[in-house]
Order: sequence, then structure tokens, then C-alpha cells
Amino acid sequence: MAASFASRCSRVGRSLFSGLSNSSLGSAHEMTHNNYFSQQQRTFIQMRTVLKVVDNSGAKKVMCIQALKGKKGARLGDTIVASVKEAHPNGKVKKGKVVYGVVVRAAMQKGRCDGSEVRFDDNAVVLVDKQGQPIGTRVFGPVPHELRRKKHVKILTLAGHIA
Amino acid sequence: MRLEKCWFCSSTVYPGHGIQFVRNDAKIFRFCRSKCHKNFKMKRNPRKVKWTKAYRRVHGKDMTKDSTFEFERKRNRPERYDRNVKEDVLKAIPKIAKIRAIREETHHKKMKQGKHEKLRREAEKELKQGINMVKAPSVFQQDPSYTLPAIKVKVSQQKSVENHPMEE
Repeated sequence: MAASFASRCSRVGRSLFSGLSNSSLGSAHEMTHNNYFSQQQRTFIQMRTVLKVVDNSGAKKVMCIQALKGKKGARLGDTIVASVKEAHPNGKVKKGKVVYGVVVRAAMQKGRCDGSEVRFDDNAVVLVDKQGQPIGTRVFGPVPHELRRKKHVKILTLAGHIA
Repeated sequence: MRLEKCWFCSSTVYPGHGIQFVRNDAKIFRFCRSKCHKNFKMKRNPRKVKWTKAYRRVHGKDMTKDSTFEFERKRNRPERYDRNVKEDVLKAIPKIAKIRAIREETHHKKMKQGKHEKLRREAEKELKQGINMVKAPSVFQQDPSYTLPAIKVKVSQQKSVENHPMEE
């Protein structure tokens, strides 16, 4: 009897069940989507990427408007042109100014000279002038040793941790 | 050149292999391969994942305390190069590996043996304590008071209701 009932159900309520399963799938997808942010494929620092400023120049957040090298965008150690989106009220750099910055942390992995890769927690930038001298006098958090090859020794000496 | 240990599975990370993740507090997590990196991103605890060294250590599967492990240690002071010392070290490496393999084997044997013995001792103890509860099957046949009397129970059969409001 149970078997007959099951068969009837499957025959009758196919559309209904399919609808149900669809909805459940959708909810599951949404749940994974919430957790997905930390695991998504990280990409280049390109136009409109918002980066944290990790020095005491006065800016808090900048938005990349141009990568000075590379077709796809900037990576760890590259220089970008950015516009200041958030700034401290009495810092050197004001909101809306166009500044240069060196990417000192990138969430996208970058190959190292020995073939291994390095990846950071977030996208962070240190503001520099056109000659490549840092505007601020301190650098917070870890920075990669690849900056030495890019001739940003000043940033390396200011940094507390070198990864 | 330094051979690091994988954060997740504790295997050796050779130069040029794997990926390292630098957290904002400058802690470096090194991974030997993408498998370990992915498991880390899934926030798995290496102590709870069975194939890692951490799990095996926690659960007593592997030898943890041994003098052969003392040779492989992180040293912050670089060793000054000495040809004689180097030769001795190269000679000692296979010997140490052999000793470690033997010790590990005995450790595994001991571990398994210990479990077997323990189970047997427990079973013996239980038998001794509960021997009065065990009776020969012939006793049940002789004395009807040990067994339940056979009772017939009537089961009312339900009539199936053929009513499916969901039907189209």
C-alpha cells in the first residue's frame, strides 16, 4: 500500500516536489554565498578597487583609478593611482585628492622568486609621492620582502613585520 | 635554505612548493599543497582531520616523545660550516632514520597489544562479576518460571483510507 502511495505521489506531485526542491536548493545556495566571500577567487587590483591605507598619511580608504603597470591591473608591490575616499579630518591627505600608492598587501596570491606563493588577508596600500617616497612616517602590519626589488626600501624600513 | 612544516598536515614544505598566507597580525601560515590550503580556508581544525599529523599525535597513533626528534628542530642560530661535522651528519642521518623506524614499529605494536590485553581483562572481570546471571540453556527448559508464558495478542487490522486530497 505504501508503495502504491509513493508511486502515486511521485506521479502526481512531480511539479510540486520539483518546486520544493528548487526552493531548498536556492536557500542552500544563498547560505553558501554568505560564506563564499572569504573563499572567492581573488583578482587583480583594478579600477574601482577600494584599498585600506596602512600608513599615517591621513587617508583611510582609497579607490584605485589606474594601475601604472600591467594590462589586467596591479598586483602585490605594484604602484597605482588612487583617489582618496575616506580621510582623517586633520591629516596630510584630504578626501578627493588623487594620490600614488604602493600595494603592500594583496589578497590575490603572487608567485615568489623561488616558485612558492604568498597571499595576504586584505588589499592594503601605502601612499607615496611621484618619486616613490612614502608620504606617511609609519607603516602598519606585515609587508612583503619583494618591495626591496621594487626599490621601496623606505617602506620596508618603516614596516614592523616583513613576510 | 630552510625546510618549513606545513601548518595543516605538518609535512615538510620544500622551497618553491605550496603557498603561504600572511594574516594581518603577521602570523605566517605555510601550506605544502592546495589540499591543505583549501582545508584551512574551510576553517577545519587539523586536530580533527584524520589524515593530519596533528590528529595522529593527539590520538596517540604516532610516537610523539622520542630522542630522534631532537635532531630535527628549528634553530635560529645558523650553523657554522665545518666539513668534518657535515660528513658526520650525513653519516648519522640514515642511522637515525633506521632507529626511528624501529622505535615507531615497536610503538605501534605496543599500542595494539595494549588494547587487546585491556579488552580481555575487562571481559574477564565482567564474566567474574556476573557469573550468577549466566545459566545453562537446559535450566530454562526444565524450569518454566524462568521463561515468559506464551501469550496470544490480537492485532486489529486498520482499514486503509483511500483519500488523497493532493491528487489532481
